[in-house]
Amino acid sequence: MTQTLLEAENICFSYEKKDGNVLDNVSLRIGKNVKTALLGANGAGKSTLFSILNALNRPGEGRVLYNGEPISYRKKDILRMRSEVSILFQNPNDMLFRPNVEQDVAFGPTNLKLPRDEIEKRVDDALFAVGMSEYKKSPTMKLSYGQRKRITLAGVLAMHPQVLIMDEPTAGLDPQMAYEVMEIAEQLHCTGVTVIMSSHDTDLTYSWADEIHVMQHGRCQYSGAPEEFYADKAAVYRAGLLSPSVFLMNEGLSSIGKVEREPFPRTQTQMSAKIANNRSGKFGTLHILEVSQDTDITSLIGEKGLEGLSTGIYGMAARRAHDFSKPAIDFMYNGPENCTMKCMAGKDSVLVCDPIMTDSARKSAEFINEGGYGDIRIDVIRQ
Amino acid sequence: MSRIFEMRDVTFAHHGGPVKVMDNFSIAVEEGSRTAILGANGAGKTTMFYTLTGVYRPQEGEVLFRGEPIEYTKEGLTKVRSEVAVVLQNPDEQMFCSLVEEDVAFGPLNLGVDRDEVEQRVDKALRDVRMSDFKKRPLQQLSGGQRKRVAIAGALAVHPEVMIMDEPTAGLDPQASMEVIELAEKLHLQGITVLISTHDVDLAYGWADAVNVLRKGKMVFSGTSEEFYSDAENVHLCGLLSPATFNMNREVSDINGISPSPYPRNVSSFLAKFGGGQKAGRVFCVSCNEGDIGDRYEQAVREAGEDAKIGIYGTDTRYALTGKRVDYYFDGIDSCFSEAVLGRDSILFYDSVYEPLLKEQADTLKGFGSDVGREVIQ
Repeated sequence: MTQTLLEAENICFSYEKKDGNVLDNVSLRIGKNVKTALLGANGAGKSTLFSILNALNRPGEGRVLYNGEPISYRKKDILRMRSEVSILFQNPNDMLFRPNVEQDVAFGPTNLKLPRDEIEKRVDDALFAVGMSEYKKSPTMKLSYGQRKRITLAGVLAMHPQVLIMDEPTAGLDPQMAYEVMEIAEQLHCTGVTVIMSSHDTDLTYSWADEIHVMQHGRCQYSGAPEEFYADKAAVYRAGLLSPSVFLMNEGLSSIGKVEREPFPRTQTQMSAKIANNRSGKFGTLHILEVSQDTDITSLIGEKGLEGLSTGIYGMAARRAHDFSKPAIDFMYNGPENCTMKCMAGKDSVLVCDPIMTDSARKSAEFINEGGYGDIRIDVIRQ
Repeated sequence: MSRIFEMRDVTFAHHGGPVKVMDNFSIAVEEGSRTAILGANGAGKTTMFYTLTGVYRPQEGEVLFRGEPIEYTKEGLTKVRSEVAVVLQNPDEQMFCSLVEEDVAFGPLNLGVDRDEVEQRVDKALRDVRMSDFKKRPLQQLSGGQRKRVAIAGALAVHPEVMIMDEPTAGLDPQASMEVIELAEKLHLQGITVLISTHDVDLAYGWADAVNVLRKGKMVFSGTSEEFYSDAENVHLCGLLSPATFNMNREVSDINGISPSPYPRNVSSFLAKFGGGQKAGRVFCVSCNEGDIGDRYEQAVREAGEDAKIGIYGTDTRYALTGKRVDYYFDGIDSCFSEAVLGRDSILFYDSVYEPLLKEQADTLKGFGSDVGREVIQ
C-alpha cells in the first residue's frame, strides 16, 4: 500500500457564502511519490482545491491531512507546511514580487533562513534547471510570459519541496519548453518529491501520471488509473474532457484484434511499438550512459566505444554535463522515447542520463520487452 | 486561389529601436485557406498579426491586403479592420464594455451596422460560442475561458472575411478547445480565411492546410506540415516538437519497411493505415439544419442498429441531442469514420454546414485504402 501524504476529507469551500460552494464535499488521497494529475473543465474547482491543499484557503467544512495530521492553520505550522508543500500558480504574474530574477528565486530559501552559500547554490541550480542561468541579473519586469513562467518554477524548485503542486505548468509554453517542464517534473519524482499537476492537455498527463483525479462542478468524480475513466465515454464528456489520442488508437486497434488491449500504451513510443511488426527480429541495444555533471560526455562515449550511434540526453546532471562540453546530441528532447524507438528499428542508441533518472529512462524499453513487442537489450553503464 | 494577405521584406522595430521584432519578413496567405502560424515564445507571431492588420507600421517593406498596400490612414485602416477580425491571446486586452452583449455588439456598431441587424448578429455569435446564457452578465464575472469565448463572439459578429486567432485554445479545457476548432472549420467552409497561431502542434497538424513557421522575427518555413517536420534539425531550432501522429507514422512505417506517405493526420486515417484491411463499415449521416432532428434519431438507430456508435459534430446538433445516448460528443467525424475503418457501422449527427468535411474525410480515407460508405438519413 502506498502511504497517503496529502488527504482532503469532505472539503466544502466557498469564496463568498452567497455564491455557493466552489468545492462540494471533495475527498481524495494523494499517495507519497505517486505522479498525480488533477483534471477537469475550466471552472471545475482545480485551482481552488490546490489552494486548500496548500493551506492558502481554509475549508468551510472538512479537513486536510498532511502526513496523517490535520493542518492546524496556526501561523507557525502553516509556514512549516508551506516550506514542504510548494505551489506553482498558473499565472506567473501572481508569483513574482522581487525586482530581479536572482532575488525572486532566492526569496523562498531566504525565508527559510538558510546559509548564504546554500541559497546561492540553490538559485544557480534552479535557474539552470529551467534554462534561465543567463538571466540571473535581469529585471523580472522585462521578461516574456514564458520566461516569467520559468522563473516562478525556479523559485519553487529552490525551496526543495517534498510536495510540488503545479497548476497548468505547460500552459502558454512552446512545445520544447513544455517538454522541459515535464522532464523537471519527472526528475523531481525520481528524487522522491510528490508531484501533483493540473493540465488541460490530456495527452500530456496520460503519458506522465500514474493516478488521476477528475473534478467536475466542484466535486471529485473519479480517482484512480486513467484507463478506467477514459473508457467511460459519458463520464469523460460530462467532465469536459477528451480521451487521449494514444488511448483512442489502442481502443480502436484492440477492438478488431490487431493488438491486445492491455498493457495500455501511455506514450507514442509504446503505441508505435505495439503496432509495429518488426519482422527482421533484430532489435538494438539501449545504452544508458550514466554521467555526473562534471563528465566529459564525448570522451566517455569514446572510452566506451559508443561513437557514431544516435544519442539522446535525459536529466539534470546530463544536461549540466552537456552544457559544459557541448557534444553533438541527436535528441535533446524526449531522449528515452527517441532512443528506444531507434532500438525498435534495429539500431543501437546511447542515452546520456542522470543516474537518478535511469529507472524512468528504461520504462518504454521494458514495456516493449515485457509485452513481447520487441527484445531490446538494456545496457546500463554506471560510473 | 488569390492572396488575401502578403508581407514583403518587412522589418519592424518598436519605436524604431535597435531590436528588429520582424526582420526581412515575408509571408503570403491564400484566400480561404486554413493557415497555422507556429513558433517558439517570442518568435514574433503576435507582432506579425499586429503588422498584418495595420496596428504596427513597418519601417521597411510592404503589407498588402487583397493585393493593395495597406494605407495607414483612418479610411485605409477601417477598410482592413471591417474585413479582418482578430482574437487576441489575452481577451482582456480587447474588452472595453461592461456587459457581454455590449462587448459583442461593439464591433458591428462601430462599422455602422444597424441596431436590429446587430442584435441578430450578437445572438447568433453568442450561440456559436455557447455563451447565450451569459448575454446580460458583466464581463468581470466571467472566467478566463468564458471571456475568451466572448472575444471570439465579438469577432464573429463583425462578419469578417479573415479571422485571425492568436493562441485561441490556450487555457481552454479540451472540449472548449474542440469547439474553437469546430468554429474555425465552419468559418473555413463559409469561405473565410482563418489564421491561427498555436503552441499545440498536434492541433495544428490535424487542422491546417499550410503552416508558416517563425523564428526570431524571421519566416523560416512556409508549406505543408510534413515537409517541415521531416527536417528534424529545423524543428529543433524553431523551439518546436513534431506532432505525435507524425512521429508514430514515421516510426512504424520505418520498422515495417513501408513508405511514410500518405501521412495520417488524425485517428481514423492512422487506423486506416495501420489497422485497415477489413471491409469498411458505413457511416449513417444525419444532417441537422439549426438543430432540427425531428424523429431521425430513432430512424437512424433503427437503420444502423442498436450497436452502432453515435457521434456528433457541431454545436447546434450537440444541443439538440441533449439527453439522448451519444458515444462521441466531440470530434464525431473522426470518431465515426474510425468506427467505419474498423469495419463497424456508426451514426453521425452534424450541423449541415459541415457536410463538405465528411466528403473530405471520406476522400482522405480512400487514399489510405479504406472505402467508407455514407448512408444519408433524410
